[in-house]
Amino acid sequence: MVASTDLGFFLPGEVIKDIESKDKYTIIGPGLRRNEEDPNSLVATQAGRLTFRAPNTYWIESRRNRYIPKKGDLVVGVVTKKSGDILKVDIGCAEFAWLSLLAFEGSTKKMKPNVNVGDLIYAKLLNAHKEMEPELVCVDQYYKSGRLGVLPNEGVLINITLRLTHTLLNAENPLLRTMAKKFPYEIVIGVNGKVWIKANQAKDVLTLCKAFEAAELESEKSIIEACRQHK
Amino acid sequence: MEPIKNVRLSKGILEMKFMKKSREQVLKDQEDAESQEMYSREITEEMKKSGHTIFREASMTICKGLADGRLSFGGVNPEVEKLMEATYNKALAEAQKREEKDVSDEHMAKGYSTLVNTVNNKFKTKKAKNKKFQKPNAAEPLI
Repeated sequence: MVASTDLGFFLPGEVIKDIESKDKYTIIGPGLRRNEEDPNSLVATQAGRLTFRAPNTYWIESRRNRYIPKKGDLVVGVVTKKSGDILKVDIGCAEFAWLSLLAFEGSTKKMKPNVNVGDLIYAKLLNAHKEMEPELVCVDQYYKSGRLGVLPNEGVLINITLRLTHTLLNAENPLLRTMAKKFPYEIVIGVNGKVWIKANQAKDVLTLCKAFEAAELESEKSIIEACRQHK
Repeated sequence: MEPIKNVRLSKGILEMKFMKKSREQVLKDQEDAESQEMYSREITEEMKKSGHTIFREASMTICKGLADGRLSFGGVNPEVEKLMEATYNKALAEAQKREEKDVSDEHMAKGYSTLVNTVNNKFKTKKAKNKKFQKPNAAEPLI
């Protein structure tokens, strides 16, 4: 992972100029939009710190906790309604997401997977527009499920902040690995802030929850330092 | 000789039975031309709006290069751990490698380039080292 640089604090509506690009392309993440008046600048739509990652990526690092679906995100959701071939899944955004029963690996019109209301699902966002309800799938482009699909019934679902999910999903962050030295566990972290944990004992699940609670308030550096002590 | 432009078969000929193949070709060409026209118009409009830089919206996952969220540790789910090898563990190994590298590439290149000069000096003959412009002997005739 290439290190990112902090470019200062911005408020919604502030214009950001001198945008770096590669082959005239710039990738913008959450919290930014194109400026209609001046073609080569951006406008902040959220309060937070502008972050840049080489060569051409910008986004705003904020403490927002409302999940806004974006295409390609991997999320954990709860099935809330089942009607015919369509499931409605709660992924924590404004609307329920839409998941077809045919979007599972190996499912056909006659052979559908057994999914019930209340089940947990780890899925990928196929479509996410402002005007439409988001659409989920449980297969990749080769029609293989990989790690996606219905999660087993033997786990616990918790909610954490979006900021913490980003910290945990950074492969360089040692928190998950340090906990793994103490006890074995399986975890599914959705970028929507829903986390599913499965461990051998209830005690271990609680330890993980406590660790996340503590990590929420800490900076990345202090997490790494704390993990180093437990080696 | 000028090349013949826009030779077209008439509708009557194209509708004949033996012209089936060429009719298909003509229809396909027409469709292609139409779609290309539509496409090019769209792009130019977008180009005008965005000026020089084209902005592409992406999720935080792409911006920060986040890993897949399904992870297993200590053999709870061997299937997931197998899939982790290719992605999570690889990213991890790369990060560790970067950390372990005590001499950065730039530093190495700088050090090495000076080393080349010193070794080069060693092999130079004494004559070559103190090469100075020497005055010609005045007593010696020039030609």
